[in-house]
Amino acid sequence: MKTIIKTFFILFVAVSASFAQGFKVKATGEKTFNFEDKYGRNQASFFSTTPLEDITGLSNDVKGNVTFNVADIKSLKGSVSISASSLKTGIELRDEHLKSENWLDAANNPVITFVIKKVGEVKVVADNKLEAKVTGDFTAHGVTKEVVADVTMTYLDASEQTKQRAPGDLLGIQTKFNIVLSDFGVENMIVGQKVADKIEINANIVGSSGM
Amino acid sequence: MNSKQKYVIIVALVLLAAALIWWFASGGEILSKDGIWVEKEMTELDKALGLEPQKEYQEKFILGLLPHTAVFSGAVVFISTVLFFIFRTKKTKETK
Repeated sequence: MKTIIKTFFILFVAVSASFAQGFKVKATGEKTFNFEDKYGRNQASFFSTTPLEDITGLSNDVKGNVTFNVADIKSLKGSVSISASSLKTGIELRDEHLKSENWLDAANNPVITFVIKKVGEVKVVADNKLEAKVTGDFTAHGVTKEVVADVTMTYLDASEQTKQRAPGDLLGIQTKFNIVLSDFGVENMIVGQKVADKIEINANIVGSSGM
Repeated sequence: MNSKQKYVIIVALVLLAAALIWWFASGGEILSKDGIWVEKEMTELDKALGLEPQKEYQEKFILGLLPHTAVFSGAVVFISTVLFFIFRTKKTKETK
C-alpha cells in the first residue's frame, strides 16, 4: 500500500512539475524582486487619444515588489504602485488639473496600484522570457476594478552586466492594459472630447532581487 | 472697391494662406503644444531585459489650429474687415 501511495505521490509531483511554466535560468526557488529605483529609471505611463488631442502621462515614481517561484510563474504575487501626484503630462497646468478633485483627486487618493491576483495563458518565449495574462486589481481614484494585463517578463541572472543597474538577479517587466475612466468614477465634461474614456496603461519596470 | 480695399483683401488673403501653410507644415495638429515626448536611447541591458524605450519630455512649440492659428486668422479677418469698411467710408466722402 505504501509503495502505491509513494508511486502516486511521485507521479503527482512529476506531472505538476511538467505543467509548471517558469524561467529556465540558474536561479532556483522563490525570489522577490523590488521595483524601487533611486535613479527613477522605472516608468509607468498612460496614453489617451482623441481626434482633438493625444495625451501621454508619465511617472518615474514606481514602487512595489513581486515574489514567485522561478520555475512556476503562476505563483506570482505582489503589487506595483505609483503616486498619483507624480504623473507628468508635459504641461504644468494640465498636471495640476490631473491631480485635482475632478480627475485623480490625488489629495484623497494618493496611490494608483495594481495588485496581482493570478497568472494565466503563459507562453514561453525563451528560457528567460515569458508572456502571460496577469489578472489583478487596479485601484485609481479610490475605485478598484479587476483588469487583465498583457505582460512580458524577462529574467536575467546576476552578472557583471546586471550589476550596472542593480545588485542581484533582475526581472524586466513590460506590460500593457486598458482602463475605462468612467469605471473609476472619473467623470468630467471633457472626457470623450479632449481626454479619451478608454486609457492605455503601460509599464516598463525592472525589479532587483538584491535590494 | 477702391485700390486700398483691394490691397487690404490681398494682404489678408496672403496672411491667412501663410498661417494655414505654417499650421499644415507644423503637422496639422488641432491643438498647439509646448513640447513633445521623445524616446530615450536604450542600453544593451535595457534590450536584454525586454524593455521598450522610455520617454522624456522636450520643450518645443508646435503650432496648432487652436488657439494660435484660429486666433491669428480671426484677428486678420476682423482687422481687414474694419479696414475695408474704413476705406469704403473715406471713398464715399471723397465722391460727395
